[in-house]
Amino acid sequence: MKCIGCGVEASIKEFRYLYNPRIDASVTLRQCAKCQAWLVVDEMKNEATRIMQAGEDPWGKSAGIENVTQAT
Amino acid sequence: MTTCSECTSFFPFEDDDSCGDCVQRVVDPRQAYHKARPVDADNDASKCPNFNKK
Amino acid sequence: MSTATQTNITNAESKEWWWVAERERSPRLDYLRKAVWKKGAIGGNYAPGIKVNLERAQLFTESWKENEHDPIMLRKAKALAHYLENKTIFITDQAQLVGYVGTLPNTLEWYPEGASIVNEEVYNEQSVIPEPEKESLELIAEINDYWSGQTAIDKLGRVLDPEDIVKFMSGVIGWGSPTSAYGYSGKDYEYILTGKRGFEDILDDIDANIEAVEKETKGMPGPDILPLYDKLLNWEAMQIILDAVIDYANRYARLAKIIAENFETDPKRRKELLQIAETCERIPAQAPRNLQESFQLDLFIQVIARAEAYEGAWPGRPDYYHGPFYDKDVNIDKRLTKDEALDLVGEFMIRAHEVGMFGPRWTREGLQGITGTWVWTLGGVNQDGTDACNDLTVAFLQAARLVRVSNPTFGFRWHPEVKDEVMRECFECLRHGLGYPSMRNDPVLVENTMYWYGHPIEEARTWVHQACMSPCPTTKHGFQPMRMASATANTVKMVEYALSDGYDRVVSMQMGPKTGDPRNFKDFEELFQAWVQQMEWLMKILVRTVNLGRVKDPEFFGRPFLSAISERSVESGLDAVSPEGERGNCWVTFFTWVENADSLAAVKKLVFDEKKYTMDQLMTALEANWEGYEEMRLDFVRNAPKWGNDDDYVDEIMVRCLREVARHGKEIKCPSGNNWPALPENVSGNIHYASLVGALPNGRRLGDALYDGGISPGPGLDKKGPTAVLKSCAKIDHVKDGRAFLLNQRMSPTQLNGDKGYTMWKSYMKSWADLGLDHVQFNMVDDTTLRSAQKDPEKYQELIVRVAGYSAHFVDISRKTQDNIIQRTVVGL
Repeated sequence: MKCIGCGVEASIKEFRYLYNPRIDASVTLRQCAKCQAWLVVDEMKNEATRIMQAGEDPWGKSAGIENVTQAT
Repeated sequence: MTTCSECTSFFPFEDDDSCGDCVQRVVDPRQAYHKARPVDADNDASKCPNFNKK
Repeated sequence: MSTATQTNITNAESKEWWWVAERERSPRLDYLRKAVWKKGAIGGNYAPGIKVNLERAQLFTESWKENEHDPIMLRKAKALAHYLENKTIFITDQAQLVGYVGTLPNTLEWYPEGASIVNEEVYNEQSVIPEPEKESLELIAEINDYWSGQTAIDKLGRVLDPEDIVKFMSGVIGWGSPTSAYGYSGKDYEYILTGKRGFEDILDDIDANIEAVEKETKGMPGPDILPLYDKLLNWEAMQIILDAVIDYANRYARLAKIIAENFETDPKRRKELLQIAETCERIPAQAPRNLQESFQLDLFIQVIARAEAYEGAWPGRPDYYHGPFYDKDVNIDKRLTKDEALDLVGEFMIRAHEVGMFGPRWTREGLQGITGTWVWTLGGVNQDGTDACNDLTVAFLQAARLVRVSNPTFGFRWHPEVKDEVMRECFECLRHGLGYPSMRNDPVLVENTMYWYGHPIEEARTWVHQACMSPCPTTKHGFQPMRMASATANTVKMVEYALSDGYDRVVSMQMGPKTGDPRNFKDFEELFQAWVQQMEWLMKILVRTVNLGRVKDPEFFGRPFLSAISERSVESGLDAVSPEGERGNCWVTFFTWVENADSLAAVKKLVFDEKKYTMDQLMTALEANWEGYEEMRLDFVRNAPKWGNDDDYVDEIMVRCLREVARHGKEIKCPSGNNWPALPENVSGNIHYASLVGALPNGRRLGDALYDGGISPGPGLDKKGPTAVLKSCAKIDHVKDGRAFLLNQRMSPTQLNGDKGYTMWKSYMKSWADLGLDHVQFNMVDDTTLRSAQKDPEKYQELIVRVAGYSAHFVDISRKTQDNIIQRTVVGL
């Protein structure tokens, strides 16, 4: 997998696993050992899609939102 | 020797004036308050940064 | 329309309730709210400026050394008295209530006699060392050296089974300290807070008891009089501490007068200070006469209990015990207006909020953002079963929306006769995003309390939240004087060890019993029986430790003050912690519980029923932490039934697990000979244990937050709506299957607007009550607000979320916890 921040390429295992609060999704957070960037990773494709910023929601809206009649 | 009894912050106990409260006003980053701690009247106050002669 | 009104409307419409609160609360409450130094750890670390108080450690140790030949209760009472006589006290501008745990407003209390490992943490926690740092560190080192080997935990460690200690200290199977030093106590409020007595009355009772016993000890020798000698010393200890607290209160009276006469120029404030002086001259020596005195008595009790020990919870029922004084002052004598009373109520909450004590790192990580779980109990019934809600119940709910503290929070005892006015106030607190009150089903919990411990019904009806969840009476034989958090199990280890032959891969040691290589399991029953053995082992090891800690506590720690305010101790001359005379009210907190059912169900379905995978394939994937097995992992997540969807396949496994636990909870006994039921809930243990639990068949990896606790479904895994969640939960018998069961639900603040929203919520609550659930609590805050708070925490300091059995300011919890809360399913009603 390639780090979007610094470009280093390594096995996905070399990127420190942080967490995934939605276990029904394949999106996780991993950290690059070289540049320390928090990466949003697609675990099915073994691909870093972007760097995670404060306030971002890579998992999308909360579960169940689609069942609520009004937008939140 | 300068002692606590000579300071404006010293308030002797009514029943025993050999000791009393040292009362000070403090303003910290969050609140203002008065604090107190018991001291002996004849404590050496010469190095106290808050000493204020009566 | 004024600008302020327009701003209020705008803020209300955008649900920024904290801005509304700031404008609506009185100038006094606004000042006092903002005056508080935040004591909860932020992401496990104390806020800048917070310092540990060294006066207690120094004064306590000084006296302890001087009285080395005294028995423990007496030695402890003298040490506390010396501290209270000499510590720094303060009165905040505009305050009407006084008393603080610690010395200055930014300090944390520290108990060097509790645990050497915590003392070492104090030394190493650089940010909390007061200036001048060098001298402070020298003093701490000297104190630590003295206490090394002598603390309550050190002494207990020498009598516990060595294997038990090692496994407990690994930190993976449970947490807590089996000592009063770092636990929490209930209180005999029926003795001390009903307005019938002050400390002078208790002193008179003790004098009479001493006089009666001394006649015997000077009389006919024999075995019967031998225990009386220790009782005389214990009573002497109680006298010392009661006198010391009366003197401590008089110190505040004196300070208030000094300020009024020498410093204060505002006549109105001078009058208030003289009122404080009058209050503190009377309280706690004599019984209270009005609301301010009643609150002051309660506050002194709580402050002194925390001078004696780190009390990690605050069981209380403030509307019930202070309600008669509210009624007298506001309705009968008209001594106070409602707004003036609200100021007192709000300040009482703020005084609780400002309490800070130095906690070991595991508490700071497991209780992010707060010092302890102050869950105050409102509502409920009187001992005769009639509705106990009163005007003060309403006042507390209103004050909560004004002061917006994350701690204390409320647990409301719902019953069918609660008036609509009160329910509406509960709803408004939730709608304002406080995350409390949690709603408790009073009839179910009264029955539960009687079922598990045999409390008579009148006693059971006095119940308060012992900490977050568990009901405990407030009576002579019913209150529990020592609840150690160490009866807290990381229960997901049950299924983890069933799948690893009892071996913990995270800490690399054999922890549980060897229950067989899971690769060789032929059917689900083999796996389930392995699970049962691991469950029994885990409950036994924690309860063994806790039971011993309890019976040794009077010898290793001692609680003269708690004893002095407890009727059975004043009568018997025994330390309140002694199990003698107590009915028993123990429970094992079950962290990380639902993963057991979800994991067992996944294995049953995909391995044993559908035979899609072998046990060998599953174990290989788990041992690899699902790395390289993402498709298989998602199969185990999405295609195996999950709890909370009204699916009998997994729900029956959940109930079966709970009934095995309930069976075993009646086999293991407490020091009073009573039962140990389980109570699933989490605080923020789901985050604390995230890196201590390996991959599981429910699809989680090592490092993922565990579910948010109790019987709450996993975030995003409840797909069938709120009724399905309730129906799953209703398959549990909330009386017989355990002590209580925490349920977190997250709702949309927009959907629950106005009267229509209230009607929808009431309808939900009716379903909840009809189905016999015992607990539910709500988060009503939207994603946009939470994500904005992550980007700009400074602007969202008073945004509150419900974490688990407690609330916290969102900006004070770790990023991982924040994301976990955001991903909780929003249920549409």
